[in-house]
Amino acid sequence: MLEIDGLSASYGKVQVLWDVSLRVDEGEFVALVGANGAGKTTLLNAVSGVMRPGSGSIAFMGNKVDGFAPNQIVDLGLSHIPESRQVFTDMSVRENLEMGAYPIRAWKSRRNTMKRVFELFPRLEERAGQLARSLSGGEQQMLAMGRGLMSLPKMCMIDEPSNGLAPLVVRDIFRVLKSLHEEGITVLLVEQNVRQTLAVADRAYVLENGHNVLEGPCCDLAQSEHVRKAYLGQ
Amino acid sequence: MNAFRDIFLTGLLLGGIFALVSVGLSLQYGVARVLNVAHGEFIMVGAFITFWMLGSINLNPLVSLVITGPAVFIMGLILHKTLFRRLMDTSPSLDVFEGKSMLASFGLLYVVQNLARIIWGSDVEGYNFLNSTVTAAQIPLNRLVALGFVIVLGVAFYLFLARTRLGKAIRASAQSPTTAELMGVNIHNVLAICFGLGLGLAGIAGSLLSTLFAIQTSIGLGYTVIAMVVVVLGGLGSITGAMIGGVILGLVSSTVTFFQPSLTMIAYYVIFIVLLLSRPKGIMGK
Repeated sequence: MLEIDGLSASYGKVQVLWDVSLRVDEGEFVALVGANGAGKTTLLNAVSGVMRPGSGSIAFMGNKVDGFAPNQIVDLGLSHIPESRQVFTDMSVRENLEMGAYPIRAWKSRRNTMKRVFELFPRLEERAGQLARSLSGGEQQMLAMGRGLMSLPKMCMIDEPSNGLAPLVVRDIFRVLKSLHEEGITVLLVEQNVRQTLAVADRAYVLENGHNVLEGPCCDLAQSEHVRKAYLGQ
Repeated sequence: MNAFRDIFLTGLLLGGIFALVSVGLSLQYGVARVLNVAHGEFIMVGAFITFWMLGSINLNPLVSLVITGPAVFIMGLILHKTLFRRLMDTSPSLDVFEGKSMLASFGLLYVVQNLARIIWGSDVEGYNFLNSTVTAAQIPLNRLVALGFVIVLGVAFYLFLARTRLGKAIRASAQSPTTAELMGVNIHNVLAICFGLGLGLAGIAGSLLSTLFAIQTSIGLGYTVIAMVVVVLGGLGSITGAMIGGVILGLVSSTVTFFQPSLTMIAYYVIFIVLLLSRPKGIMGK
Protein backbone atom coordinates (compact mmCIF):
# COMPACT_ATOMS: atom_id res chain seq x y z
CA MET A 1 0.00 0.00 0.00
CA LEU A 2 2.78 2.42 0.98
CA GLU A 3 6.19 1.96 -0.53
CA ILE A 4 9.12 4.19 0.38
CA ASP A 5 12.33 3.60 -1.51
CA GLY A 6 15.75 5.13 -0.87
CA LEU A 7 14.38 8.26 0.77
CA SER A 8 16.76 11.05 1.79
CA ALA A 9 15.68 14.32 3.35
CA SER A 10 17.35 17.36 4.90
CA TYR A 11 16.41 20.51 6.78
CA GLY A 12 18.60 23.11 5.16
CA LYS A 13 22.11 21.69 5.33
CA VAL A 14 21.34 19.11 7.99
CA GLN A 15 20.56 15.74 6.47
CA VAL A 16 18.07 13.79 8.56
CA LEU A 17 17.21 10.72 6.47
CA TRP A 18 19.71 8.62 4.52
CA ASP A 19 18.47 6.18 1.95
CA VAL A 20 15.54 4.92 4.05
CA SER A 21 13.22 2.26 2.66
CA LEU A 22 9.99 1.04 4.18
CA ARG A 23 6.96 -0.90 3.01
CA VAL A 24 3.48 -1.24 4.47
CA ASP A 25 1.11 -3.77 2.89
CA GLU A 26 -2.63 -3.39 2.87
CA GLY A 27 -4.17 -4.40 6.20
CA GLU A 28 -0.84 -4.48 8.02
CA PHE A 29 0.04 -2.85 11.33
CA VAL A 30 3.61 -1.65 10.93
CA ALA A 31 5.63 0.19 13.54
CA LEU A 32 8.55 2.54 13.09
CA VAL A 33 10.58 2.79 16.26
CA GLY A 34 13.74 4.62 17.21
CA ALA A 35 15.13 7.19 19.58
CA ASN A 36 14.36 10.89 19.63
CA GLY A 37 15.89 12.56 16.58
CA ALA A 38 16.17 9.35 14.57
CA GLY A 39 14.14 10.94 11.77
CA LYS A 40 10.81 9.20 12.31
CA THR A 41 8.69 12.36 12.20
CA THR A 42 10.62 13.65 9.20
CA LEU A 43 9.78 10.45 7.36
CA LEU A 44 6.07 10.92 8.04
CA ASN A 45 6.25 14.59 7.04
CA ALA A 46 7.88 13.62 3.76
CA VAL A 47 5.15 11.07 3.05
CA SER A 48 2.27 13.43 3.88
CA GLY A 49 3.76 16.24 1.79
CA VAL A 50 4.50 18.64 4.63
CA MET A 51 8.17 18.59 3.61
CA ARG A 52 9.80 17.82 0.32
CA PRO A 53 12.22 14.89 0.31
CA GLY A 54 15.63 15.36 -1.30
CA SER A 55 15.65 12.10 -3.23
CA GLY A 56 14.04 8.71 -3.32
CA SER A 57 10.49 7.74 -4.15
CA ILE A 58 7.22 7.39 -2.29
CA ALA A 59 4.29 5.44 -3.71
CA PHE A 60 0.83 5.10 -2.23
CA MET A 61 -1.53 2.46 -3.68
CA GLY A 62 0.65 2.16 -6.71
CA ASN A 63 0.81 5.91 -7.50
CA LYS A 64 3.96 7.95 -7.16
CA VAL A 65 3.10 10.66 -4.62
CA ASP A 66 6.40 12.41 -3.81
CA GLY A 67 6.04 16.13 -4.41
CA PHE A 68 2.28 16.01 -3.83
CA ALA A 69 0.73 18.70 -1.61
CA PRO A 70 -0.64 17.48 1.74
CA ASN A 71 -4.26 17.97 0.66
CA GLN A 72 -3.71 15.67 -2.33
CA ILE A 73 -2.29 12.96 -0.07
CA VAL A 74 -5.31 13.18 2.26
CA ASP A 75 -7.62 13.00 -0.74
CA LEU A 76 -6.00 9.70 -1.73
CA GLY A 77 -6.91 8.22 1.65
CA LEU A 78 -3.72 8.55 3.68
CA SER A 79 -4.24 10.34 7.00
CA HIS A 80 -1.33 11.71 9.05
CA ILE A 81 -2.11 12.15 12.75
CA PRO A 82 0.66 14.50 13.80
CA GLU A 83 3.04 14.51 16.72
CA SER A 84 1.96 16.31 19.92
CA ARG A 85 -1.71 16.12 18.87
CA GLN A 86 -2.00 19.58 17.25
CA VAL A 87 -5.71 19.89 17.89
CA PHE A 88 -7.29 23.23 16.99
CA THR A 89 -7.45 24.57 20.54
CA ASP A 90 -9.81 27.48 19.83
CA MET A 91 -12.38 25.26 18.14
CA SER A 92 -14.85 22.91 19.77
CA VAL A 93 -14.36 19.15 19.77
CA ARG A 94 -17.10 18.82 17.18
CA GLU A 95 -15.51 21.47 14.93
CA ASN A 96 -12.15 19.73 15.20
CA LEU A 97 -13.78 16.52 13.98
CA GLU A 98 -15.51 18.40 11.17
CA MET A 99 -12.16 19.79 10.06
CA GLY A 100 -10.93 16.21 9.83
CA ALA A 101 -13.69 15.58 7.29
CA TYR A 102 -12.55 18.48 5.11
CA PRO A 103 -12.03 16.52 1.86
CA ILE A 104 -15.31 16.77 -0.08
CA ARG A 105 -15.85 13.01 -0.28
CA ALA A 106 -15.60 12.80 3.53
CA TRP A 107 -17.51 16.04 4.21
CA LYS A 108 -20.74 14.64 2.80
CA SER A 109 -20.82 11.73 5.22
CA ARG A 110 -19.32 13.58 8.20
CA ARG A 111 -22.32 13.04 10.49
CA ASN A 112 -22.20 9.26 10.12
CA THR A 113 -18.44 9.17 10.44
CA MET A 114 -18.67 11.25 13.58
CA LYS A 115 -21.09 8.73 15.10
CA ARG A 116 -18.52 5.99 14.49
CA VAL A 117 -15.76 8.11 16.00
CA PHE A 118 -17.95 8.74 19.06
CA GLU A 119 -18.44 4.97 19.44
CA LEU A 120 -14.68 4.55 19.45
CA PHE A 121 -14.15 7.51 21.81
CA PRO A 122 -17.26 8.03 23.98
CA ARG A 123 -15.43 10.78 25.91
CA LEU A 124 -15.39 12.95 22.81
CA GLU A 125 -19.15 12.78 22.51
CA GLU A 126 -19.54 13.91 26.14
CA ARG A 127 -17.29 16.88 25.40
CA ALA A 128 -18.43 17.63 21.84
CA GLY A 129 -19.35 21.24 22.59
CA GLN A 130 -16.25 22.10 24.63
CA LEU A 131 -13.23 23.94 23.29
CA ALA A 132 -10.41 21.53 22.54
CA ARG A 133 -8.09 23.53 24.82
CA SER A 134 -10.13 22.42 27.83
CA LEU A 135 -9.42 18.71 27.21
CA SER A 136 -6.78 16.71 29.07
CA GLY A 137 -3.72 15.45 27.20
CA GLY A 138 -5.21 11.99 26.77
CA GLU A 139 -8.51 13.40 25.51
CA GLN A 140 -6.65 15.65 23.06
CA GLN A 141 -4.83 12.60 21.71
CA MET A 142 -8.16 10.82 21.27
CA LEU A 143 -9.49 13.92 19.50
CA ALA A 144 -6.45 14.00 17.19
CA MET A 145 -6.98 10.33 16.35
CA GLY A 146 -10.72 10.74 15.89
CA ARG A 147 -10.08 13.75 13.67
CA GLY A 148 -7.63 11.73 11.60
CA LEU A 149 -10.32 9.10 11.02
CA MET A 150 -12.89 11.65 9.83
CA SER A 151 -11.32 11.80 6.36
CA LEU A 152 -12.26 8.11 5.90
CA PRO A 153 -8.65 7.02 5.40
CA LYS A 154 -7.51 3.69 4.02
CA MET A 155 -4.30 4.10 5.97
CA CYS A 156 -3.29 6.10 9.05
CA MET A 157 0.18 7.28 10.01
CA ILE A 158 0.17 8.03 13.73
CA ASP A 159 3.06 9.93 15.27
CA GLU A 160 3.87 9.21 18.93
CA PRO A 161 0.34 8.98 20.32
CA SER A 162 1.59 7.91 23.77
CA ASN A 163 3.97 10.83 24.19
CA GLY A 164 3.59 12.56 27.56
CA LEU A 165 0.59 10.54 28.69
CA ALA A 166 0.03 8.61 31.92
CA PRO A 167 0.51 4.80 31.69
CA LEU A 168 -3.20 4.13 32.13
CA VAL A 169 -4.08 6.48 29.28
CA VAL A 170 -1.35 4.96 27.12
CA ARG A 171 -2.98 1.57 27.59
CA ASP A 172 -6.28 3.02 26.31
CA ILE A 173 -4.54 4.54 23.30
CA PHE A 174 -2.94 1.23 22.34
CA ARG A 175 -6.27 -0.52 22.74
CA VAL A 176 -7.85 1.96 20.32
CA LEU A 177 -4.99 1.50 17.85
CA LYS A 178 -5.62 -2.21 17.90
CA SER A 179 -9.33 -1.81 17.25
CA LEU A 180 -8.64 0.63 14.40
CA HIS A 181 -6.51 -1.99 12.78
CA GLU A 182 -9.15 -4.64 13.36
CA GLU A 183 -11.65 -2.41 11.54
CA GLY A 184 -9.50 -2.77 8.44
CA ILE A 185 -7.41 0.41 8.53
CA THR A 186 -3.77 -0.04 7.61
CA VAL A 187 -1.58 1.49 10.32
CA LEU A 188 1.92 2.92 10.37
CA LEU A 189 2.71 3.75 13.99
CA VAL A 190 5.69 5.82 15.04
CA GLU A 191 6.60 5.29 18.68
CA GLN A 192 9.30 5.57 21.30
CA ASN A 193 7.38 3.27 23.59
CA VAL A 194 9.02 0.21 22.04
CA ARG A 195 7.78 -2.47 24.39
CA GLN A 196 4.06 -1.78 23.93
CA THR A 197 4.49 -1.09 20.24
CA LEU A 198 6.14 -4.41 19.51
CA ALA A 199 3.28 -6.08 21.38
CA VAL A 200 0.58 -4.72 19.04
CA ALA A 201 2.25 -4.35 15.62
CA ASP A 202 2.83 -7.06 12.99
CA ARG A 203 6.16 -5.83 11.71
CA ALA A 204 8.54 -3.08 12.74
CA TYR A 205 11.39 -1.01 11.37
CA VAL A 206 14.11 0.41 13.57
CA LEU A 207 15.50 3.79 12.55
CA GLU A 208 18.76 5.10 14.01
CA ASN A 209 20.29 8.46 13.09
CA GLY A 210 18.33 8.54 9.88
CA HIS A 211 19.34 5.04 8.73
CA ASN A 212 17.38 1.79 8.52
CA VAL A 213 19.10 -0.60 10.93
CA LEU A 214 16.66 -3.43 11.50
CA GLU A 215 13.36 -4.70 10.26
CA GLY A 216 11.24 -7.74 10.71
CA PRO A 217 8.25 -9.29 12.44
CA CYS A 218 7.75 -7.82 15.91
CA CYS A 219 8.18 -11.13 17.71
CA ASP A 220 11.64 -11.56 16.11
CA LEU A 221 12.68 -7.98 16.84
CA ALA A 222 11.62 -8.29 20.47
CA GLN A 223 14.09 -11.18 20.77
CA SER A 224 16.96 -9.44 18.97
CA GLU A 225 19.99 -8.65 21.05
CA HIS A 226 20.25 -5.10 19.71
CA VAL A 227 16.63 -4.16 20.35
CA ARG A 228 16.65 -5.69 23.82
CA LYS A 229 19.76 -3.75 24.81
CA ALA A 230 18.99 -0.42 23.17
CA TYR A 231 15.22 -0.14 23.56
CA LEU A 232 13.91 -2.60 26.09
CA GLY A 233 16.56 -2.07 28.74
CA GLN A 234 17.30 -5.79 29.13
CA MET B 1 -28.95 63.84 26.31
CA ASN B 2 -29.19 64.28 22.54
CA ALA B 3 -25.48 64.95 22.36
CA PHE B 4 -24.81 61.75 24.23
CA ARG B 5 -27.08 59.81 21.89
CA ASP B 6 -25.35 61.29 18.83
CA ILE B 7 -21.91 60.46 20.16
CA PHE B 8 -23.04 56.91 20.84
CA LEU B 9 -24.72 56.33 17.46
CA THR B 10 -21.89 57.92 15.48
CA GLY B 11 -19.41 55.92 17.53
CA LEU B 12 -21.26 52.72 16.83
CA LEU B 13 -21.38 53.46 13.11
CA LEU B 14 -17.71 54.43 12.89
CA GLY B 15 -16.90 51.45 15.09
CA GLY B 16 -18.76 49.12 12.77
CA ILE B 17 -16.88 50.43 9.76
CA PHE B 18 -13.56 50.27 11.64
CA ALA B 19 -14.46 46.70 12.57
CA LEU B 20 -15.05 45.72 8.92
CA VAL B 21 -11.76 47.30 7.88
CA SER B 22 -9.89 45.72 10.79
CA VAL B 23 -11.34 42.25 10.39
CA GLY B 24 -10.06 42.56 6.83
CA LEU B 25 -6.57 43.45 7.98
CA SER B 26 -6.71 40.73 10.61
CA LEU B 27 -7.52 38.09 7.97
CA GLN B 28 -4.60 39.27 5.87
CA TYR B 29 -2.13 39.42 8.71
CA GLY B 30 -3.45 36.78 11.09
CA VAL B 31 -4.02 34.09 8.48
CA ALA B 32 -2.23 35.07 5.26
CA ARG B 33 0.67 36.67 7.22
CA VAL B 34 0.75 39.70 4.92
CA LEU B 35 1.17 42.91 6.92
CA ASN B 36 -0.72 44.87 4.30
CA VAL B 37 0.22 48.53 4.63
CA ALA B 38 -1.81 49.18 1.46
CA HIS B 39 -5.04 47.97 3.09
CA GLY B 40 -6.58 51.44 3.38
CA GLU B 41 -5.94 52.14 -0.31
CA PHE B 42 -8.61 49.60 -1.16
CA ILE B 43 -11.09 51.48 1.02
CA MET B 44 -10.33 54.46 -1.17
CA VAL B 45 -10.73 52.31 -4.30
CA GLY B 46 -14.13 51.06 -3.06
CA ALA B 47 -15.22 54.61 -2.25
CA PHE B 48 -14.18 55.95 -5.66
CA ILE B 49 -15.72 53.08 -7.64
CA THR B 50 -18.99 53.85 -5.84
CA PHE B 51 -18.63 57.59 -6.45
CA TRP B 52 -17.75 57.01 -10.09
CA MET B 53 -20.64 54.63 -10.77
CA LEU B 54 -23.06 57.05 -9.15
CA GLY B 55 -21.80 59.81 -11.45
CA SER B 56 -21.57 57.81 -14.66
CA ILE B 57 -24.49 55.38 -14.60
CA ASN B 58 -26.36 56.81 -11.62
CA LEU B 59 -26.00 53.57 -9.68
CA ASN B 60 -27.33 53.65 -6.12
CA PRO B 61 -24.34 53.51 -3.72
CA LEU B 62 -25.96 50.73 -1.75
CA VAL B 63 -26.27 48.65 -4.90
CA SER B 64 -22.68 49.33 -5.86
CA LEU B 65 -21.60 47.56 -2.64
CA VAL B 66 -22.47 44.37 -4.43
CA ILE B 67 -19.98 45.32 -7.13
CA THR B 68 -17.15 46.92 -5.15
CA GLY B 69 -16.93 44.05 -2.66
CA PRO B 70 -16.47 41.26 -5.23
CA ALA B 71 -14.36 43.48 -7.54
CA VAL B 72 -11.87 44.28 -4.79
CA PHE B 73 -12.00 40.64 -3.60
CA ILE B 74 -10.88 39.51 -7.06
CA MET B 75 -8.11 42.14 -7.07
CA GLY B 76 -6.98 40.60 -3.79
CA LEU B 77 -6.97 37.05 -5.16
CA ILE B 78 -4.92 38.17 -8.15
CA LEU B 79 -2.49 40.14 -5.99
CA HIS B 80 -1.99 37.15 -3.71
CA LYS B 81 -1.50 34.65 -6.51
CA THR B 82 0.89 36.86 -8.49
CA LEU B 83 2.80 38.75 -5.80
CA PHE B 84 2.50 37.42 -2.24
CA ARG B 85 2.43 33.71 -3.11
CA ARG B 86 5.69 34.14 -4.99
CA LEU B 87 7.26 35.98 -2.09
CA MET B 88 6.13 33.19 0.22
CA ASP B 89 7.58 30.47 -2.00
CA THR B 90 10.95 32.21 -2.14
CA SER B 91 11.14 33.05 1.58
CA PRO B 92 13.08 30.64 3.81
CA SER B 93 10.76 31.29 6.77
CA LEU B 94 7.47 32.97 7.64
CA ASP B 95 9.28 35.76 9.52
CA VAL B 96 11.24 36.63 6.40
CA PHE B 97 8.01 36.51 4.43
CA GLU B 98 6.31 38.93 6.82
CA GLY B 99 9.09 41.46 6.35
CA LYS B 100 9.09 41.06 2.57
CA SER B 101 5.30 41.24 2.38
CA MET B 102 5.29 44.50 4.31
CA LEU B 103 7.82 46.07 1.96
CA ALA B 104 5.91 44.81 -1.08
CA SER B 105 2.67 46.23 0.24
CA PHE B 106 4.40 49.58 0.80
CA GLY B 107 5.12 49.56 -2.91
CA LEU B 108 1.54 48.55 -3.60
CA LEU B 109 0.32 51.51 -1.55
CA TYR B 110 2.10 53.98 -3.85
CA VAL B 111 1.08 52.19 -7.04
CA VAL B 112 -2.61 52.05 -6.09
CA GLN B 113 -2.71 55.59 -4.74
CA ASN B 114 -1.02 57.10 -7.78
CA LEU B 115 -3.11 55.12 -10.25
CA ALA B 116 -6.19 56.40 -8.44
CA ARG B 117 -4.80 59.94 -8.61
CA ILE B 118 -4.34 59.60 -12.39
CA ILE B 119 -7.90 58.31 -12.81
CA TRP B 120 -9.80 60.38 -10.26
CA GLY B 121 -7.50 63.33 -9.47
CA SER B 122 -6.60 64.55 -6.01
CA ASP B 123 -9.56 66.78 -5.20
CA VAL B 124 -12.01 66.26 -2.39
CA GLU B 125 -15.12 64.63 -3.85
CA GLY B 126 -18.46 63.78 -2.40
CA TYR B 127 -22.13 63.43 -3.05
CA ASN B 128 -25.38 63.72 -1.17
CA PHE B 129 -27.06 60.47 -0.34
CA LEU B 130 -30.04 60.05 1.97
CA ASN B 131 -28.98 62.96 4.11
CA SER B 132 -32.46 63.94 5.10
CA THR B 133 -32.94 63.37 8.80
CA VAL B 134 -35.31 60.99 10.41
CA THR B 135 -37.67 63.62 11.75
CA ALA B 136 -38.33 62.47 15.28
CA ALA B 137 -34.72 61.74 16.10
CA GLN B 138 -32.83 64.28 13.96
CA ILE B 139 -30.37 61.62 12.82
CA PRO B 140 -29.27 61.63 9.16
CA LEU B 141 -30.86 58.70 7.35
CA ASN B 142 -27.63 57.70 5.60
CA ARG B 143 -25.99 57.02 8.98
CA LEU B 144 -28.79 54.73 10.05
CA VAL B 145 -28.71 52.89 6.73
CA ALA B 146 -24.94 52.48 6.88
CA LEU B 147 -25.17 51.26 10.46
CA GLY B 148 -27.78 48.71 9.41
CA PHE B 149 -25.54 47.48 6.59
CA VAL B 150 -22.51 47.19 8.85
CA ILE B 151 -24.45 45.14 11.39
CA VAL B 152 -25.86 42.81 8.74
CA LEU B 153 -22.42 42.36 7.16
CA GLY B 154 -20.80 41.74 10.53
CA VAL B 155 -23.34 39.08 11.47
CA ALA B 156 -23.15 37.48 8.01
CA PHE B 157 -19.37 37.34 8.17
CA TYR B 158 -19.43 35.90 11.66
CA LEU B 159 -21.85 33.17 10.54
CA PHE B 160 -19.64 32.46 7.52
CA LEU B 161 -16.63 31.87 9.77
CA ALA B 162 -18.57 29.95 12.40
CA ARG B 163 -20.76 27.72 10.27
CA THR B 164 -19.38 27.05 6.81
CA ARG B 165 -16.77 24.55 5.70
CA LEU B 166 -14.56 27.28 4.24
CA GLY B 167 -15.05 29.48 7.32
CA LYS B 168 -13.88 26.67 9.56
CA ALA B 169 -10.91 26.02 7.30
CA ILE B 170 -9.95 29.70 7.62
CA ARG B 171 -10.11 29.53 11.42
CA ALA B 172 -8.14 26.29 11.47
CA SER B 173 -5.51 27.77 9.14
CA ALA B 174 -5.21 30.81 11.41
CA GLN B 175 -4.34 28.52 14.33
CA SER B 176 -2.02 26.13 12.52
CA PRO B 177 -1.50 26.19 8.76
CA THR B 178 0.44 22.92 8.74
CA THR B 179 -2.20 21.01 10.68
CA ALA B 180 -4.94 22.48 8.48
CA GLU B 181 -3.02 21.13 5.48
CA LEU B 182 -2.96 17.67 7.05
CA MET B 183 -6.77 17.88 7.23
CA GLY B 184 -6.85 18.29 3.46
CA VAL B 185 -7.02 22.08 3.24
CA ASN B 186 -5.34 23.55 0.16
CA ILE B 187 -3.49 26.14 2.18
CA HIS B 188 -2.45 28.37 -0.72
CA ASN B 189 -6.05 28.74 -1.85
CA VAL B 190 -7.21 29.54 1.68
CA LEU B 191 -4.49 32.16 2.12
CA ALA B 192 -5.41 33.78 -1.20
CA ILE B 193 -9.10 33.76 -0.23
CA CYS B 194 -8.28 35.34 3.16
CA PHE B 195 -6.26 38.06 1.49
CA GLY B 196 -9.05 38.64 -1.03
CA LEU B 197 -11.79 38.65 1.62
CA GLY B 198 -9.78 41.13 3.65
CA LEU B 199 -9.51 43.49 0.71
CA GLY B 200 -13.18 42.91 -0.20
CA LEU B 201 -14.24 44.03 3.28
CA ALA B 202 -12.12 47.16 2.84
CA GLY B 203 -13.80 47.82 -0.52
CA ILE B 204 -17.26 47.49 1.01
CA ALA B 205 -16.28 49.75 3.91
CA GLY B 206 -15.10 52.28 1.32
CA SER B 207 -18.46 52.21 -0.45
CA LEU B 208 -20.26 52.83 2.84
CA LEU B 209 -17.86 55.59 3.87
CA SER B 210 -18.47 57.44 0.62
CA THR B 211 -22.16 57.72 1.54
CA LEU B 212 -21.19 59.48 4.77
CA PHE B 213 -18.07 61.56 4.26
CA ALA B 214 -16.20 63.46 1.57
CA ILE B 215 -13.56 61.31 -0.12
CA GLN B 216 -10.11 61.92 -1.57
CA THR B 217 -7.52 59.65 -3.16
CA SER B 218 -5.29 60.17 -0.12
CA ILE B 219 -7.69 58.87 2.55
CA GLY B 220 -6.30 55.33 2.58
CA LEU B 221 -3.33 55.55 4.92
CA GLY B 222 -5.41 57.05 7.77
CA TYR B 223 -7.63 54.00 7.73
CA THR B 224 -4.67 51.64 7.56
CA VAL B 225 -3.37 53.22 10.76
CA ILE B 226 -6.79 52.85 12.41
CA ALA B 227 -7.00 49.22 11.35
CA MET B 228 -3.54 48.52 12.75
CA VAL B 229 -4.45 50.13 16.09
CA VAL B 230 -7.65 48.05 16.18
CA VAL B 231 -5.87 44.81 15.31
CA VAL B 232 -3.36 45.37 18.12
CA LEU B 233 -6.19 46.42 20.44
CA GLY B 234 -8.18 43.29 19.67
CA GLY B 235 -5.23 40.91 19.68
CA LEU B 236 -3.16 39.99 16.61
CA GLY B 237 -4.94 37.45 14.45
CA SER B 238 -8.16 37.41 16.47
CA ILE B 239 -11.22 38.11 14.31
CA THR B 240 -13.53 38.56 17.30
CA GLY B 241 -10.92 40.87 18.83
CA ALA B 242 -10.87 42.98 15.67
CA MET B 243 -14.66 43.33 15.79
CA ILE B 244 -14.68 44.36 19.46
CA GLY B 245 -11.62 46.60 19.04
CA GLY B 246 -13.23 48.33 16.05
CA VAL B 247 -16.33 49.24 18.01
CA ILE B 248 -14.27 50.48 20.98
CA LEU B 249 -12.11 52.68 18.76
CA GLY B 250 -15.22 54.02 16.98
CA LEU B 251 -16.73 55.06 20.31
CA VAL B 252 -13.44 56.68 21.38
CA SER B 253 -13.27 58.47 18.05
CA SER B 254 -16.78 59.93 18.23
CA THR B 255 -16.32 60.98 21.86
CA VAL B 256 -13.01 62.74 21.29
CA THR B 257 -14.25 64.29 18.05
CA PHE B 258 -17.26 65.73 19.87
CA PHE B 259 -15.09 67.62 22.33
CA GLN B 260 -11.98 68.36 20.26
CA PRO B 261 -11.78 67.02 16.66
CA SER B 262 -8.09 67.86 16.28
CA LEU B 263 -7.22 65.40 19.05
CA THR B 264 -8.81 62.33 17.42
CA MET B 265 -5.70 61.06 15.64
CA ILE B 266 -3.63 61.73 18.77
CA ALA B 267 -6.12 59.72 20.81
CA TYR B 268 -5.61 56.73 18.47
CA TYR B 269 -1.85 56.85 18.92
CA VAL B 270 -2.08 57.30 22.69
CA ILE B 271 -4.29 54.21 22.90
CA PHE B 272 -1.91 52.34 20.60
CA ILE B 273 1.18 53.16 22.66
CA VAL B 274 -0.47 52.58 26.03
CA LEU B 275 -1.72 49.22 24.78
CA LEU B 276 1.63 48.14 23.40
CA LEU B 277 3.19 48.92 26.76
CA SER B 278 0.49 47.56 29.07
CA ARG B 279 -1.27 44.78 27.20
CA PRO B 280 0.71 43.97 24.06
CA LYS B 281 -1.39 40.88 23.34
CA GLY B 282 -4.65 42.83 23.10
CA ILE B 283 -8.14 42.07 24.38
CA MET B 284 -8.50 38.60 22.88
CA GLY B 285 -4.79 37.86 22.55
CA LYS B 286 -3.14 34.76 23.93
